[in-house]
Amino acid sequence: MLRRTLTVLATTAALALSTNVAFAQNKVLKFVSWQKDERGVGDWWASVIKAFEEAHPGVKIEWTKVERGAYADTMTTLFAGGNPPDIVHLASFEFQKFADNGWLEPLDPYIKDSKLDLINWAGQDTCVWNKQTVCTMMLYFGYFLAYNEDLLKKEGLSVPKTYAEFLEAAKKTTKDLNGDGIIDQYGTGHETRGGGGQYISEMMNYTLDAGGRWTDENGKVTINTPQMIEGLSRWKTIVKNNLTPRDMSAGEVRQLFADGKIALKMDGPWLWPIIQKGKAKDQIKTAMVPFNPPVGGSSNILAIPTDISKDNKKLVWDFIKIATSDPFQSTYATLGASPPPSPRADIKAAKAENPNFDLLVEATQAAAKAKVDRIPKGLEIQFNEFSKMVMEEAQRMIIQDLDPKAVAATMQQKAEALQQQ
Amino acid sequence: MKPRFSLDLARPSRRHWLGYLLLAPAVLLIGLIIIYPLIVSVDISFQNVNIARLDQPRRPFTTANYERLFASGDFWNASWVTLKLIVIVSLFCFVIGLATALLVNNKFKGRTFARLLVALPWAMPEVIAVVIFAWMFDSSFGLMNWVFIKLGFIDTTINWFSSPAAAFAVVCITMIWKGYPFVSIMMLAGLQSIPEDFYNAARVDGANAWQRLVNITIPSLMPVLGVTLVLVMLWVFRDFSIIYVMTGGGPLKATQSLSIMTYEQAFGFFKMGYASAIGVVTLIICVIASRLMIGRAPDNI
Repeated sequence: MLRRTLTVLATTAALALSTNVAFAQNKVLKFVSWQKDERGVGDWWASVIKAFEEAHPGVKIEWTKVERGAYADTMTTLFAGGNPPDIVHLASFEFQKFADNGWLEPLDPYIKDSKLDLINWAGQDTCVWNKQTVCTMMLYFGYFLAYNEDLLKKEGLSVPKTYAEFLEAAKKTTKDLNGDGIIDQYGTGHETRGGGGQYISEMMNYTLDAGGRWTDENGKVTINTPQMIEGLSRWKTIVKNNLTPRDMSAGEVRQLFADGKIALKMDGPWLWPIIQKGKAKDQIKTAMVPFNPPVGGSSNILAIPTDISKDNKKLVWDFIKIATSDPFQSTYATLGASPPPSPRADIKAAKAENPNFDLLVEATQAAAKAKVDRIPKGLEIQFNEFSKMVMEEAQRMIIQDLDPKAVAATMQQKAEALQQQ
Repeated sequence: MKPRFSLDLARPSRRHWLGYLLLAPAVLLIGLIIIYPLIVSVDISFQNVNIARLDQPRRPFTTANYERLFASGDFWNASWVTLKLIVIVSLFCFVIGLATALLVNNKFKGRTFARLLVALPWAMPEVIAVVIFAWMFDSSFGLMNWVFIKLGFIDTTINWFSSPAAAFAVVCITMIWKGYPFVSIMMLAGLQSIPEDFYNAARVDGANAWQRLVNITIPSLMPVLGVTLVLVMLWVFRDFSIIYVMTGGGPLKATQSLSIMTYEQAFGFFKMGYASAIGVVTLIICVIASRLMIGRAPDNI
């Protein structure tokens, strides 16, 4: 069934793009991505490539996987060497450096010529850099709550709906089950090791609910507000009291949750496929996060490099048109198991396949409505440095048991200094 | 007809030309893959550049990167961390490496297997070794916490990678485990080159095992020790993967060495001019330290 759907989609795309066939003989377009072998979303990219190649006889896409950990280095090296991939796939927190260097083609003329409708396209605002659209957003997500029903029931707890209830549930479900002095079961799970980007996403569960934001709408740093101080206090409470396993990567925490060793987990749509392969699959249920608004944000983008030939730019735009077309946005929902950014995507099939799909859509919409993004306005270019600084100061707060108010003041000062660089 | 140009390499005065000709491809290759990037790196370090591109016009000359570097607390912290790592890791690598070399230099049953065991960590890829150690020292479910609690050394788990001192210790232990076999192999090679006559003569003179070690073994090993020390020091200096995979330089920059700092500035923050300045300073420190050690080595023999 899926194969037939994809064939129909490919044929549609072929017809729609047949005008471009003439100039595109025996070409190879390079496409580098970290999502190549990812189940679901990787299959979706493969279907887009297949449709593109069928629509452009003689043009092949050379698809190469680069691990996420080495991605920024590899892409920087490729661009700096004047040899960028034709189809540019970047995370939404890293494309700004490339755009700022003038390495990404402004897409506004292409959008205008092809009449691509990006109105209400989730997260598309993030793609506007220096008043020009330099990319198309491929995913905007919102966090949902997954909970282990058995673990909550054993403690006589219901699904938490506020931070206070969440804290109580996390405390009661954090346990040393066999009395050996080592905690075997945790109330919740956060990544506390690894990159700054993921670390601040985890913190934002608490800072957003407390009403805090890193910066305001004008890009002014607002870390020393009472709301942010409250958010930092909450984060300190969770980590300092070992209500989350320490020093674990995001992947390890997700696996622990899927295996029934964590009671409550806030995460994005990618958690669902992991749950399905875990030992506690049947005990895990989902709900809206007990925080308002949920963490959300843009994820990854497609762009065209300025350094390639005019013909190749046209071909890459065709590729983007296929990826952003209504039929492929609909299959994104089913294959990628995530709400697609397009407001016109048909998500009926995804809803039928995934019982949580409505929840994912609701979480995404709630985050989008509150204009939540991991990348603070006014700190886009300095995001890596900013997130590293926040992570270090938060770690210092926990390790040295510092007052969150003093930590917020330090973060404020350092963030302002970064903005002025 | 007389040829216009001939290269008679058989002539005694031109015999050395052949040597130069044969060396030329290697020299050119080295120039291309080592010298050229080095020159580019030094050049970039004197420019205010974020992401460097060779096809773009050169930015104005500036010493701002170096001024910022020497005024930066992070740089001095990274230098201090690097120095601590060099001293601790090199010292333990030498003690363990020499001890294991002396052990497997003796004749005993299963010596070949023992030699294999000693060399095993050296053969293991760094990343795999790091993953194993990271699992052993995992704060929540790691082996070491369990062992220490069972033995009664601690009553609550240690957050190995959330404590600056503990994280530094774990990095040192991993580096020592990975680095001592190299010393051991070099020492073993050195030990086998010491003539047995020296020891026989010492025994005749009544020297005990300790005196033979101090007066014959160690002095005879000095040339090998000097070279090994330089190589181990340079390895610790430039090692990146162990620290990066294990701690990423954290927590609170407790394990951030100069190589980690260089990488972070270049590919984390895209400040390649500044990162090049750190790289150049690191190179100068390495050259000076190596020269001092190599230069002193003959005096110790």
